[in-house]
Amino acid sequence: MWVLLPVAGISNLLPLLVGVGALVGFMSGLFGISGGFLLTPILMMIGIPPTVAAASDSCQIVAGCSSATAAHFRLGNVDVKLGMVLLFGGLTGGWIGVRVIKLLRALGAADFAITITYVVILGLIGGYMFTESLRSLRRGAVVPKWRRATQGQRLLSRLPFQMDFPRSQVRHSVLVPFFLCGVVGLLAAIMGVGGGFIMVPMMVYLLRMPMHVAVGTDLFQILFTCAGVTYMQATTNHTVDLVLALLLAAGSTLGAQAGARVGQRLRGDQLKILLASVVLLVMLKMASGLLLTPQIHVTPVRGH
Amino acid sequence: MRVTPEIVRMGAFYAGANVRVEGTTALDEKIIVVVRGPELTEVFNQTGRLGPIWVSTGKVAISGVPSLFLVFCSEPVNACLTRAAIDQYGLDLPALQKMMHIECKARDCRRVAEDYLLYKKMQGSYRMVNGGFRMTQPDAGGVSFTSYTLDFVLPRCAAPGQYQINVLECRGGEIVTSSDVPLQVVEVGFPALIGWLASQHASSYGILSVVVALIAGLGIDFVAARLFKRGIAGH
Repeated sequence: MWVLLPVAGISNLLPLLVGVGALVGFMSGLFGISGGFLLTPILMMIGIPPTVAAASDSCQIVAGCSSATAAHFRLGNVDVKLGMVLLFGGLTGGWIGVRVIKLLRALGAADFAITITYVVILGLIGGYMFTESLRSLRRGAVVPKWRRATQGQRLLSRLPFQMDFPRSQVRHSVLVPFFLCGVVGLLAAIMGVGGGFIMVPMMVYLLRMPMHVAVGTDLFQILFTCAGVTYMQATTNHTVDLVLALLLAAGSTLGAQAGARVGQRLRGDQLKILLASVVLLVMLKMASGLLLTPQIHVTPVRGH
Repeated sequence: MRVTPEIVRMGAFYAGANVRVEGTTALDEKIIVVVRGPELTEVFNQTGRLGPIWVSTGKVAISGVPSLFLVFCSEPVNACLTRAAIDQYGLDLPALQKMMHIECKARDCRRVAEDYLLYKKMQGSYRMVNGGFRMTQPDAGGVSFTSYTLDFVLPRCAAPGQYQINVLECRGGEIVTSSDVPLQVVEVGFPALIGWLASQHASSYGILSVVVALIAGLGIDFVAARLFKRGIAGH
């Protein structure tokens, strides 16, 4: 059964679009990521124009994240107070990132910059998470090293505007999550993703939050960030395909429910190693695009 | 010569359209049917090698060729017409390549043209088909004409716009008759409404997109929570 996507201007298989959404939604609920770094490339592979894929991706993230956030909220995994601080930092970083992309596009270097950023960031994060999680799984139930205060953490504890975040059982200066999410927002704007695959490891390793609370809280801030991006894409680039977004959302909201429940049955270390594996696989796919000789040497112009 | 339908309506479940071209031709003539889309200027990133990696080396703009190019011949086009006639009317891919206008570095243009044609063939927008005509001779003897029918599928990638169906009757390597019929492709119904909102009322469309996405997500969450509460997750 085919469906016409009015803004994309092409027809595609309805079950395929819903199935892709379900796969990404499952990962959204499982890991607390938006799945954008997976979904946009998959949509392009099935013939959706890149600009429409990226913009509609943000819209379906709103649907998928609202369902996943609600599920995690019911499970007690959302720290609203910390989430609001992260959101403001993310929006600030995203605003800067959009201007950086504008400059890179004017220089004709945007595509290469985006791809190499993907490869480097995904490689660093995925590699670190994988090795750390593997070591932790082999050791068994031991107090993780990051739980003990390091010199860096003692330095951070002297920063002003210290605040307790009871749900996450941590105490930080608001400047720390604001700045961290600002960096993530900058990278997310450049890479065209929600940033969860960067934010979740940052919350676990740098903010020392429990994995399940990091997942739920990250979904909360992604929801509002992507709502803003959807509106901006619709008004600036006219590339949000609501039909495409709804079909993806139909699959992703159901997938997110299942993902959230499966995630509750896994330990934090198991979740981390699974997420790390996915991140590394995507990195290898992006790197292969840079290294292997393409079949044709012209590609449609991409956009954010 | 007749084309059915004259207007292709792209509704919510559009998957391409069946188009029929019918007409009559002399017994000794060969037929070529060409379907051309509007000429657009398309911009592409050009890829080149920098050390071990492939990077975008610049942009190229390609114009002077149709967005859709389907050619149906009763026999191979080289057997119907001379090379000069093929080039003059742009009836095969080498002829299109000569008509193409490319803005890029001079030494890269030939490679860009070849890659563009390959891209369009992979997309399904450019196709050359030999055969596919149903020829019917009248029952009465002594007639010098035959009826032909060509059925083809307008590909899904054909965007809304004005297309041209050109029927060429050929004899002795030259074109003896040429007929043109327009074919209009229009969006109708829900896709047309969404397309109009997205382009003409972008701000309202943006807010609508966010609200609909939130409602869809929370609505399905409500349903799923009830489903899982009933013990599906316990299986």
